[in-house]
This record gives sequence, C-alpha cells and structure tokens, in this order.
Amino acid sequence: MKFTLINNKKTEQLSFKNNLTIKELLDQIEKPLETVVIKKNGQIVLEDEIIQEGDTIEVIQIIYGG
Amino acid sequence: MNCTKCGKKEVMMERKHSGQRLCPECFISGIQKKVLKDIRKYGLIEKGDNVMVALSGGKDSVMLLDILSSLQNRGIIDLMAVTIDEGIQGYRQDGIKIAENHARRLGIEHRVVSFKEYFNISLDEIMALPFPRGACTYCGVFRRWLINRTAREMGATKIATGHNLDDETQSIMMNYLEGNIENLRRIGPRSHPKSDKFIVKIKPLGEIPEREVGLYVVAKGLEVHFAGCPYSQESFRAEIGEIIKNLSKNHPTIMYSTLRGFHKIKTALKKEDSRNFTMDNCIKCGEPSAQELCRACVFCEELEKKKTH
Ligand code: SF4
Ligand SMILES: [Zn+2]
Ligand SMILES: [Zn+2]
Repeated sequence: MKFTLINNKKTEQLSFKNNLTIKELLDQIEKPLETVVIKKNGQIVLEDEIIQEGDTIEVIQIIYGG
Repeated sequence: MNCTKCGKKEVMMERKHSGQRLCPECFISGIQKKVLKDIRKYGLIEKGDNVMVALSGGKDSVMLLDILSSLQNRGIIDLMAVTIDEGIQGYRQDGIKIAENHARRLGIEHRVVSFKEYFNISLDEIMALPFPRGACTYCGVFRRWLINRTAREMGATKIATGHNLDDETQSIMMNYLEGNIENLRRIGPRSHPKSDKFIVKIKPLGEIPEREVGLYVVAKGLEVHFAGCPYSQESFRAEIGEIIKNLSKNHPTIMYSTLRGFHKIKTALKKEDSRNFTMDNCIKCGEPSAQELCRACVFCEELEKKKTH
C-alpha cells in the first residue's frame, strides 16, 4: 500500500502494510497525537482512520514544546 | 459513527469524556458558542468596549481574533490589534506577516511595535550579552509593558489575549507547586488592575483546550504561524505542561476539573488579600509600579550596564 505523506511541509512517498491507521503512522514517525492535526485528502480525520492506497496524509503540528 | 450533533459522516474530532463526535461545522459553531458564552458568564466584554487583541499570528490569537470579529460585525465592540516584534531573527517575521494579513482582511486598526524602538534593544541582542537571564523573563516583562502602553495609546478598554485551557491549568499548577499564592490569586479570566493606567486583560479562550484551538484554526482554514520560538527552553512551565498532557490521556477531564476547583479556591484567596499597597508611577517611564522603578526599567538599566562591560 503506497501513500503520500506531507510532514513539516516535506512531501514523501511511503510504502506500508495494508490497513495502517493514522495512529500507527504517528507512532512510526514519532509524533504524539496530542500535538498534531491530521488531514487525509484535505479533510481532518480521527486517529483510527485507515490509510488507503493513493491517499495523501498531511501532518500539521499545532503544539510546540516550551 | 457519524457526527453526534447533525449525523453527517465527516467526523473530525472526538471528545472521549463525553462521547461527542463532531463534523467540522458542528465543531466550529460549538466552539464559537462556548467562547461567547464564557465572555458573558465572566463579564469579559461590555457593549461599546474597544477590544485590543494581542495578535502574534499564532493559533491562539488568530482564533481569538476570528471569534471576536463576530462581535465587531454585530456592532457590539470595536476591534483592534497589536503585534509585538521582540526581534527574534528567523521566527517573528512570519508571525507578523500573518497578523498583518488578518488585520487587513478584517479591516481593523493594527500596530506592530518592537522592543528595539521602545527599549533600544532586540531580544536577539539581549541574548548575545554576557550572562543574560532567561529569554522568556525579558520577553514577558517587556511584552506586558508594551502591550499595556500601546493599548492606552490606541484607546483600548480591554486587552484580549489568547491564553487557552492548557496555559491556565499550567499556571495554576505551577504557582501552586511553587507556593506562589500572590501569582495564583491573579489567575483568572479577567484582571482587576490596581491602577487605572493598567488596561483590563481578558482571556476568552481560557476554557478551550489547546488541541481544540489547533483543530479550530485548521478546520476553518485560517492562516496561522505554526512554529516554535528558538528561545523556548526547558522551563518549569514546560515540565508541568508535559505532566498535565500525559495525565490527560487517561483522565481527559483533568484540566477542566483543575480549573473548576481553582475557581472555588479563588473566592477564598480573594478574601485573604488584605494587602492594600498603593500603585505609584515608575519614575522613569511613568507606567504604574509598586516600586520606584518598574520591572521593565530595572531590566533596561541592567542591560545598559551589561552593554558597557
Ligand atoms: S518562548 Fe520565550 S522568548 Fe520566545 S516568544 Fe515566548 S516568551 Fe518570548
Ligand atoms: Zn455535525
Ligand atoms: Zn518604568
């Protein structure tokens, strides 16, 4: 399963197992859920949303330390 | 599982403690209603107020401006904004641009005022001097001075800041744990200044969790400066914030209960407040101060000495 990840304005193509959830993705890239908002294909989604082939996932960091 | 309010499919957020699941429209209108309700409940704004927003361009102040602009549109208040330029290379400029864009879009009066023009030194220059205090210490003192001075110059009757529920809970826990009851007493949705040269400060977002502020600006597509200040360091506040955020994972209402409990204690703290010192004016800058020199002027003198060494 391939999808596009936009994280910190950097865009990359990723390849993962099927049925990857947003929550699992965030664990992988080490972003705590409380500090980000996630958009899937332009819409804000919940952490249990499943990523599908061809999706564009955008990670927007809204909380910074300090 | 659809939006628990309107049944739409596009759920963007979930409040685990109440089981609420909301679509963007219901989330946005719910937040707006809550903020306007809190403004009434705590008597933060009266009809005819000139409200000056301390607008950094960050998510909190942008959301605050967005919601207050509805009061401006209904002719209830006159809205204006100030942005403080501390002089932080590679960080502040972006926020100022965004603040200017919002002010222009809403057609409100907006001033950008800098540490450099008022204190003759930028934060970057301060931090390059030998053995400076923590950046946030200067920043806080100078910013408060500047915001209050500018508010008076612009004829503001209220200063609105974007402090959210996380900020408020952190302040309560911090001051409690440090035993700083003086500061604890001052926490709350509005200030009660001892001098009429201090403009009343209000915090309309004090009961909105930080993450929901982030969700709001993204859901509404508002332009926001998302970035961390290069000087933000490991502070006691940050440590407390970390603890509370961790606790909130398994105890999602902990920030609300901390705030609610504090409101009850505060009534008692108020009665305890027997000190009746008089506010004079700082002999150097004329701003109200309990001491001969206000803290901003004390810092300025200290920095002058550092510069000549
Ligand atoms: S993190 Fe500290 S130095 Fe940076 S803007 Fe905030 S108060 Fe100022
Ligand atoms: Zn809805
Ligand atoms: Zn002074």
